[in-house]
Amino acid sequence: MQTRSSSTDGKPQKKYYSTRKKYCAFCKDKVTLVDYKNFKNLENYISETGRMFPARVSGTCAYHQKQLAKAIKRARQMALIKFSEEKRGY
Amino acid sequence: MNSTYEIGFIITPDANEEEVKKIIESISGSIKKAKGVIENIDEWGRKKMAYPIQKNLEGYYVFIQTEVDGAAIADLERRLKQMEKVLRFITLRLDDKLKKANKLTKRWQKIEQFRKRTQLSHEESKEGTDPAVKEEETYADEK
Repeated sequence: MQTRSSSTDGKPQKKYYSTRKKYCAFCKDKVTLVDYKNFKNLENYISETGRMFPARVSGTCAYHQKQLAKAIKRARQMALIKFSEEKRGY
Repeated sequence: MNSTYEIGFIITPDANEEEVKKIIESISGSIKKAKGVIENIDEWGRKKMAYPIQKNLEGYYVFIQTEVDGAAIADLERRLKQMEKVLRFITLRLDDKLKKANKLTKRWQKIEQFRKRTQLSHEESKEGTDPAVKEEETYADEK
């Protein structure tokens, strides 16, 4: 839980923190091996421009994040996922 | 020493059905020559690629799972490189990963067993005492 409190006036300010706790989606589904072939699932873990999300954002555990990083790199090599893409619409 | 491997490759979209068959047969033939076992051949067919490779927008995807000797795979990789109709290929050894996966499933089973046991013991203790019911009774007496 990240908390942020800056007291400029000496008053206790409002604390901002995420209400919902993140969890590893792979642990929930009991995925033992992250496969590079089901690229549709991997697309949830890359940004609009094609960058991987860090575990701190996606909430995946260390065990699965390691596998996920490798799976994404393999999928990129086999042209299942884009390497990078410029932002459009601006 | 045989171990499980996964081979994936992309064939050019301008290849005929016969040419695709030829490539798959030549690979499976060389695996059988090395006394390997083909477990599964997964043909995705034509698919639009995420980015163009050698100016091709589409590709014919094939994935093969086998159990062969490592030397045969090294030979296969050399042959796949020489094939002009194959755009990309990838070979993976799955042995150690499957071992790790088995370890993980065992750990999850243990956790689930432990959870079930604790839940059962918790329920038993609740049935014995039932603190909620007692509290209600005491309140009723006071009134």
